Amino acid sequence: MKTIKIRAIVEGTVEGIALVSPIPISFFGGVDAETGIITDSENPLFGESLTDKIFVFPESKGSTVGSYVIYGLSVNNVAPLALIANEAETIVVAGAILANIPFVDKADQDVTVSIKTGDKLVVDTTQNIIILKKE
Amino acid sequence: MFLTKEQQKMLDGEFGHAIAKLTQLIVKIGEVNGATRLIPIKNAQIAGVSYLTVGEPIFTFFNMLSEDNVKVSVPSWLNPAGMDMKKWKEMGIKNDFAEKQRKIIQQYQKMGIQTTLTCTPYLIGHKPKFGDHLAWSESSAVSVANAYYGARTNREGGPSSLASAITGFTADYGLHKKENRVPKIVVAVKATITHFSDFSALGYWYGEKFHGIIPYFKSIKNTNIDQVKMLGAAMAASGSVAHFHIAKHTPEAEKVDLSYISETVTFDENDKKQIYDHFNQIKERVNLVVIGCPHTSLEDVKLIDSSLGDKSIKEGIKFWVFSSQELMQNDKAKKLLTNLEEKGVKIFTDTCMVVSPVVRENYKNIVTNSAKAAFYLTREGTNNVNLLSLSEIIERVSE
Repeated sequence: MKTIKIRAIVEGTVEGIALVSPIPISFFGGVDAETGIITDSENPLFGESLTDKIFVFPESKGSTVGSYVIYGLSVNNVAPLALIANEAETIVVAGAILANIPFVDKADQDVTVSIKTGDKLVVDTTQNIIILKKE
Repeated sequence: MFLTKEQQKMLDGEFGHAIAKLTQLIVKIGEVNGATRLIPIKNAQIAGVSYLTVGEPIFTFFNMLSEDNVKVSVPSWLNPAGMDMKKWKEMGIKNDFAEKQRKIIQQYQKMGIQTTLTCTPYLIGHKPKFGDHLAWSESSAVSVANAYYGARTNREGGPSSLASAITGFTADYGLHKKENRVPKIVVAVKATITHFSDFSALGYWYGEKFHGIIPYFKSIKNTNIDQVKMLGAAMAASGSVAHFHIAKHTPEAEKVDLSYISETVTFDENDKKQIYDHFNQIKERVNLVVIGCPHTSLEDVKLIDSSLGDKSIKEGIKFWVFSSQELMQNDKAKKLLTNLEEKGVKIFTDTCMVVSPVVRENYKNIVTNSAKAAFYLTREGTNNVNLLSLSEIIERVSE
């Protein structure tokens, strides 16, 4: 078991399986709001669903409409359980607030390296930590 | 974050769920960016209008807002839509797109937002005042508001500008603070800068090289609003530059602290040529000319008319100009439009080549005088674009 310190942006404590994007994500044009499937063909996660996963990514990019996509994911019941970024930026902050999805950033390490797709995690914003329970 | 009693009540939900969410959104964006308080804004300019760019997710968001029947608390204006609201059929817009687009506009209208549908609110009478705090989202308008008028706005997103329009506040960070408005790079402009496309090329060149860094331009002789808007728009498109200074011309330039300057660079004829060469992609015949990125002023439109003189646009080439509906209302403007239509020039309002689906879809080879338009039209790799000055364009496509 390993613990990673983080900053909480949207509060919440959840346990789930990680899905890790090694490259920056654009929610607008990169994720289907109706299905939760990653549609960016340049992303190695192309075709994977982020529904009920803890979605880990380095940072976000693209149009600010991405906020509405994140909100759409939650309205359509296909949202991820939580979001973890190295660096939060306003598109995802706004989206996570509207959708009420726990969102953390600023770990003391590169989360896209120390967390692997399939790892079991707990995101805990009462203690501002991620607990890595191992794959 | 320090909140006033009223702001705290908004956050706690005393004014409903939607207001609480929107306040939380502003507070969190502020916290992430190191703000310690919220500040009142004078007005808001809201992006996220074209159905092409917002898609279906916007409707779920509108549903949440309409449950609480929220209204804007400051004057607020909309960015361009995906079509001319009257002449959409002439543009080649399909019925289902038009229907979705109208629904979006109606939703914004219900919130009390003025449906100006322009990226240049300052050309239709909404000129910011020096020192005003604003929440604007269209990147070229943000840059003009900061640089040309000395007002203060970050580049807001669609959701955050709407949240500010409704709550009346934005978070105090970034360009709202004087210390973040200082230039870091001096640009000595050696190249001749006369045409709008030259200003556009300069902005494009700078933004691409110095992403996000505020420049201080030296030795630009003349600047009017139409030239500055071309410069700012291109810089914002290629490099997310949201503020700049021009020595002797922009209102903050004289007193701004120059002690943070770390580098001086020059923009010479060769640099200018490189930008024009980069957007010199049309090998076959031209299908469409697009002017009006950002939206044209009435002066811009007059210039097209006078440059054309007695000539008309050649058969088989379309010539589209994008502007704002307000500027085209009076009799003089209408007469000008009729004149231009006879010469083969079509003026569309409420929309532009970047946010309307038909330009990219229906026309392969496009000529423009805007480097911002060239940037967006070539981004997906399906269109060829030539960047030329207005006089070169007219020379090429008229007879």
